[in-house]
Amino acid sequence: MTALGQPPGAARLGHPVLADPVLAARATSLLTGITQRIGQVLARVTDIGAAAESIAAATRAAGPLLRRDDFSPLRRLAAELLRAQAGLAAGAGIVLAPGTLADAPRCIEWWWADQQARVSQLHVDLDPESAEFYDYTTTEWYREPERTGQPSVAGPYVDFICTREYTFTVAAPIRCGGRFIGVAGADILAAQVERLVLPGLAGLGRTAVLASGHGRVIASTSASLPPGAALPRPPQASGFATLAGPGEGPAPRLLPWSLLTVPAP
Amino acid sequence: MGSSALTTVRARTLFAPLDAGGRAETVARRLTQAITLGLLLDGERLPAESQLAGQFGVSPVTLREALAMLRDLGLVETRRGRAGGSFIRAPDDPQAVQVEAVLRLLSVHELRDIGDHRAAVAGAAAKLAAQRALDGDIATLREHAGRLHAARSRTERRRADARIHVEIAAAAQSPRLTREEMSLWSEVGDLVWLPVADDQVAEVAAEHDRLVDSIARQDPEQARQAAERHVQAETGRLLDLRLRMGTA
Repeated sequence: MTALGQPPGAARLGHPVLADPVLAARATSLLTGITQRIGQVLARVTDIGAAAESIAAATRAAGPLLRRDDFSPLRRLAAELLRAQAGLAAGAGIVLAPGTLADAPRCIEWWWADQQARVSQLHVDLDPESAEFYDYTTTEWYREPERTGQPSVAGPYVDFICTREYTFTVAAPIRCGGRFIGVAGADILAAQVERLVLPGLAGLGRTAVLASGHGRVIASTSASLPPGAALPRPPQASGFATLAGPGEGPAPRLLPWSLLTVPAP
Repeated sequence: MGSSALTTVRARTLFAPLDAGGRAETVARRLTQAITLGLLLDGERLPAESQLAGQFGVSPVTLREALAMLRDLGLVETRRGRAGGSFIRAPDDPQAVQVEAVLRLLSVHELRDIGDHRAAVAGAAAKLAAQRALDGDIATLREHAGRLHAARSRTERRRADARIHVEIAAAAQSPRLTREEMSLWSEVGDLVWLPVADDQVAEVAAEHDRLVDSIARQDPEQARQAAERHVQAETGRLLDLRLRMGTA
C-alpha cells in the first residue's frame, strides 16, 4: 500500500496507515461511494448558487437594489433538490450576507421536506431570542465558503436552526460583482449518512469508524466509540489505523474524511 | 388583566414551547416577547391580519385567535373604522413588569423543580461536552462567554447566557440535550437574570468562564459539577427573590 497523498488543507488525523491492500481498497471504495453521494447533493447546491448569482447580477444590472422577493424563483430549484435527493437532503436554500438586501438586514430562504415530501419554507420568526440563534454568519457552513471561496461540508454538528438534528451542511459561496454575498446550501442528516455507510463499514470485517477531518466519529461499528465521539489521537490511540483517506476519493478537499480500524470494544 | 382566567392564558402564552401546544399560542408568545423586548413599540400598528398570518405561516383564523389572546392580556388593542386595525399597547417597563408577574405565578416548589431539571440537563451537557468538544467547539464557547461579559442589558445577558448553554449542549453532540436547553430557556429564561444585581453581573459572567474552562480542560466530572453549581446558584437567587415577594 502506498503512502497516503496529503492534499493541501486536508487534515491528517495522525494515525498510522494499515498495510493491508485488500482492506484498504474496500475502504477506499466505501469512502468514494459516500463522497460521490454527497457530491450529487453539492452539484445541485452549486446549481442553486449559480441561479442566485444570475438573479443577483441581472437585478443589479437593472437597478442597484436587491430584494428578498427577487430570490423566490429559487424555491423550485430547492424543491427539485429535495425531491432528487430525498432520503439524503433534509433542507436546502440560500442565506445572504448581512446588508445584501435592501428590504431585510439578513435573509434565510430555506426550504425543507416533511415525511410526506411536502416542501415548506423555514420561517425565521420575530422572536429576538431566535434572532440570536439564527445568527448564521458565525456557523462553520457559512464561514468556510466565505473564507475560502470554495464549497465546504460542515459537520456533523447539532443544527439548532433548521433540522434540530445531528446534521451536515453542504454549502457553496454565492458571489456578485466579485464580492461574497452569501451561500447556497443543503442539510444532510447525519443519521442518513450513517444508513448509507454502516452496511459497508460492518462488511469490512474489522471494528471500523468513519471520521470527519476534525476527528469526529460519523459512523461506527464500535459501541465504545459511537457517532459524535471525538476520535482519540496518537499517542492515546493505540490500536487505531487508517484504512482510507483523507486525500483519496474524488473530493479530498471538500470531504477530508477517513476510514479507520479501531480496537474492538 | 387580573382575573384568574386571563392569568392562565398569560401563563400558557409565555410558557408554550415552540414545538408544543397550539399554533395560536406560539404566535401569541412570540408577539408577546417581541413587545416585552421592545421590538414592537407602544402604539405601533400591526400589519394587516392576512399579511401577518402569512409571515408566521399560519391561517388567518389562527392569527385572529392569537390576537384575541393578546387583547385579553391588554397587549393589543383593536380599533374599528377607517383608521382601525390592531395596535400594540406596551407597558412602560414591559420586561420587568411581565417577568415579575411570571415569577409571582410560579410557586417556590415549581421554581425549585425547574432548577433541578435545568441542573440535570446542564450538568449532563457539560460532562459530555468535556468528553467530546473539539478545538472549534471550545472557540465557539469562549466567543459566547465573551459576549456575556460585553452584554449591557438584562435582555442581552439573557440572550448570551442562553446561547452559551445551548452551545454547550451542541458541543456535547446531543440534539436532544440541545432541544431540551432551548425549550427550558424559552420557558423560564426571562427569569434567570431578574434577581441579578448590577454588582453581581461580573461574577455570574465569570461563573460561565469557569464552566467553559472546565470543559476546555476535558475534565467531565469537574465540568458537570461546575454546571450544576452554576444552575443551583441561579435557582437560589430566584428562590430568594420569590420568597421576598411573598404571597401577594
